[in-house]
Amino acid sequence: MIIVKDLTVERLDKKIFENINLSLASGNITILKGKNGSGKTTFLKTILNLIAPSFGSIYWKGKLLRTNLYDFYNNVTYIADKTTSLTKLSVKDNINIWRKIFLSNINDSQIEVALKTLKLENYLNQKVTTLSLGETKKLELLRLIIENKKIWVLDEPLSSLDDDSIELIKQTFEDHCAKEGSIIFSSHQNPGIYVTEEIHL
Amino acid sequence: MKFLVNPSKFNEMADHLFRPLLILSIMLFALGLLFSFYLSPDDYQQGSTVRIMYVHVPSAWLALLTYAIMTLYSILALAFRIPFGFIFNTAVAPIGAVFTLICIISGSLWGKPMWGTWWVWDARLTSVAILFIIYLMIIFMNLSFENRVVREKVVAIFILVGSVNLPIVKFSVDWWNTLHQPATISKLSKPSIDPTMMTPLIIMTFAFILIGIAIAILRIKTEIISRKSYLS
Amino acid sequence: MKFLKKIIFFYYREYKLNLSGIQDILTNIIFFFVSIFIFIFSIGPDKETISFIGVGIIWTLLLLSSTLSLRKFYQEDFENGNLFIMHLNGFSFGFIAILKTFSHFLFVQVPFLLSIPIACILLNIANDKLFYLFASFSIGSLILSCLGSISSSMNLMNQRNFLLGSVVVMIFSVPVVIFSVGIINMEESFNSLINILFGILLIVFAINPWASGMCLKLSLENS
Repeated sequence: MIIVKDLTVERLDKKIFENINLSLASGNITILKGKNGSGKTTFLKTILNLIAPSFGSIYWKGKLLRTNLYDFYNNVTYIADKTTSLTKLSVKDNINIWRKIFLSNINDSQIEVALKTLKLENYLNQKVTTLSLGETKKLELLRLIIENKKIWVLDEPLSSLDDDSIELIKQTFEDHCAKEGSIIFSSHQNPGIYVTEEIHL
Repeated sequence: MKFLVNPSKFNEMADHLFRPLLILSIMLFALGLLFSFYLSPDDYQQGSTVRIMYVHVPSAWLALLTYAIMTLYSILALAFRIPFGFIFNTAVAPIGAVFTLICIISGSLWGKPMWGTWWVWDARLTSVAILFIIYLMIIFMNLSFENRVVREKVVAIFILVGSVNLPIVKFSVDWWNTLHQPATISKLSKPSIDPTMMTPLIIMTFAFILIGIAIAILRIKTEIISRKSYLS
Repeated sequence: MKFLKKIIFFYYREYKLNLSGIQDILTNIIFFFVSIFIFIFSIGPDKETISFIGVGIIWTLLLLSSTLSLRKFYQEDFENGNLFIMHLNGFSFGFIAILKTFSHFLFVQVPFLLSIPIACILLNIANDKLFYLFASFSIGSLILSCLGSISSSMNLMNQRNFLLGSVVVMIFSVPVVIFSVGIINMEESFNSLINILFGILLIVFAINPWASGMCLKLSLENS
């Protein structure tokens, strides 16, 4: 669905990466590997059309990405390495807000199941500030379920998670691929997740 | 005309132009000051204080002109992606600020004997003061951003937004009844100023323009060099 | 229809956010009133003088206290990445700027609008001037919101000198203050002055999405 051709990005006339090729079909998982500062986040932002590439082009459903941007945005979930949950509000409020602004068609029972598997059901009425780092990350990943879109773009989804949660994420990724979704994520460690393509930056 | 938008061509041109411009402007300054102090008549109303005009008016014109050119370069830089515009904005803002300051100080020196006060809150004076503050803000913005790409674009946007002040400065004496006298020299009609006073004014204006260009050339060259060293 | 729903739920989110931080807004209003006290104490409690300069005081302090909350405008959403999530949710950056401007107007300026009558009592301003004050401030505060949007989006990446943002707003609000104080003091030219204020509002409103949207995109690109 996404095809990236000879992508090169320069910031301040300094090449960050060059000539990256990628084709992400449905059911594929792509991992971005690289050291710190090798441009993994920049690559993901370029795919999301936030950063204009210096050379090369990105296609979505056969058309240039820039020409049908919002159709692409309707099909993509982006999880940054920041916590987008509102820290002043409780977990429940956050989930409710997300369900509303993303016009989610997930019902209550599905949310409950997801919360239970992520072991967050006891924290529903707590403020997000009181959660630990890993728990906030898990809450962040809950957005994948709530948004329920085809393409997942994840920036360091495995950082600060324990082994059980990583196992869970693996499972979720496989389920998503079985439903013809596709995933692109960056990681600097070797997670042992089954991937169809590796990109080294 | 490519040297107006291309840094390397500008550098070539600047090497040729800087010295003659500087010498010419110093000569014009000598001539102009001679004219304005000894060879021009006293005003029948204002007496000898009218000679402040020969510094006040050219610096005011140049303050406006500098901002207008900066606006033009901001448009060029933002709309046509010409990075020389950003270099120009960074380099030239302090020059405009200094011209505005000269204009304000000489104006209040003129105002004390004529109006009896250093400062009045009339439209022309206020809008020029705002122009000065806008210049200062541009300089401070240039100093307070870490990221150069963000900084230069934000400054360009700020210059564009601030350019609404220019017509207000220019036409404030026509739109409002102010203490400040209206313009005596305009293109469309015959100037209401005496030719004996006109000569030193014109000479001084050209001297100001040339010294402004010379300093601008120096500052732009420095800016280009500092950018190159930043990259490497 | 979907788009409309998204806009409504955007405001639902803003409402929740502002409700959780309601003490900030109330502190702003308290700042406004405390400054009025300080002003009165520094001038002396002479009724004639106070009612003569009262309108000017109210306008100055409204301006100052609404610039205090500028940091909240985009900074939080920018730092925790929500701004980009909103963009991915289908709003262009310019449109986000418009939505945020109205949200600032609703949740920060309207409380001030409601506290103006109390300030009028404190400053001994005649009742018939209250209408003019309301009219000028309801337009002027929208202008202030637009200017606030522009200046705070400019200063997103400015880590050192945030006061710059407040100064930008105050510089460009000079004509607003001139004309709106003029409305109250020269009631016979009410129509012409309010038209000028409207004109300024339209100009600022047209510039706002362009300038803010561009600055937002720029900051997100380079963060």
